[in-house]
Amino acid sequence: MKMLTIGLHIAIVTMFYYIGMWIQRVGDLFIPGSIIGMMLLFVALLTNLMEVTWIDKGSDLLVTHLPLLFIPVTVGVIQYLDVLAGKGMLLLVIVLVSTILVAVTSGAFSQFIVHQKEKHYE
Amino acid sequence: MSNIMIGMAAIIGTLLIYIGSLNVYRRLRSPITLPVLVSTITVSLLLLVSDIPYDTYMKGGAWIDWFLGPAVVALAYPLYKQRAILKRFMFLIVSSVTVGAVIGVSSGILLLKWADFEPSIIYSLVPKNATTPVAMPVAQSLGGVPSLAAVFVIFAGIVGAVLVPSVFKWMRITHFLGKGIGMGTASHAIGTSKAMENSEREGAVSTVAMILCAIIISLISPFLVFLLL
Repeated sequence: MKMLTIGLHIAIVTMFYYIGMWIQRVGDLFIPGSIIGMMLLFVALLTNLMEVTWIDKGSDLLVTHLPLLFIPVTVGVIQYLDVLAGKGMLLLVIVLVSTILVAVTSGAFSQFIVHQKEKHYE
Repeated sequence: MSNIMIGMAAIIGTLLIYIGSLNVYRRLRSPITLPVLVSTITVSLLLLVSDIPYDTYMKGGAWIDWFLGPAVVALAYPLYKQRAILKRFMFLIVSSVTVGAVIGVSSGILLLKWADFEPSIIYSLVPKNATTPVAMPVAQSLGGVPSLAAVFVIFAGIVGAVLVPSVFKWMRITHFLGKGIGMGTASHAIGTSKAMENSEREGAVSTVAMILCAIIISLISPFLVFLLL
């Protein structure tokens, strides 16, 4: 029974995925279909068009095991080992430095503003 | 061996390695034992050692990969559960993500220019902090190589999940908004799955940051490339 519920939830979520893909294709949008599907599902939940109990179990399973779903794409790196060898190593260093910069600046900026606001309320 | 057999072997092998990596992570919780990292390295090494081409592995891998689409849609659920926080901090999230996205794209361009890489590589690296399905077409429209772009996106994700938590601790970024925004802006869904592990509200903030970051990067990349390159 639990398996059936999870399967049904995933089927509903998948339906939103296909609707999103379709909108992306028809509208020739730069936003990926999966993101459009997510926004549609989010709006459907907010407006009570969809009950959260229709998707919660299946969604929980998919979100919890996101790391598993990434493995096939991440393994694709082995196709580019020659590009990343030698001077190419520098590319990875640049991605590393730049990505940490992004995390720290956006994180520190938002935390700074939150603390400013909290001070304001005190 | 028939395609179906190869496919099944790839799926079952990946599942077993993933389950194994979860067990390792449960016992030895450390940034370098993160399941995405351990599984990726294990599968990659197995393919390299046994001389199996990536395309052969993907006969099964594609089935797992397919679920990534619905899984991204499923992120609407944690988003919905945390809707009160999102409504309250929307402006903060939008402004912080914009800061991060501009810094990510410009620092990438400037560092690559300084290291004297060719334009097609620069274009492939520019959208690295966006989620793969956005980064690939953005790289292509700039004149880069989509599959190489995916490699940089993945590396940005792994860096976020593995190193960024320690950097946050060191920089005293401890608020769930700061951590969630930083993780989602820098490391898309791989970072978000790590943020989700810390707390659901951090994960929800990271999801929103990831979506906004992808949209902002696709809008600012052509402009910043023109300006800085």
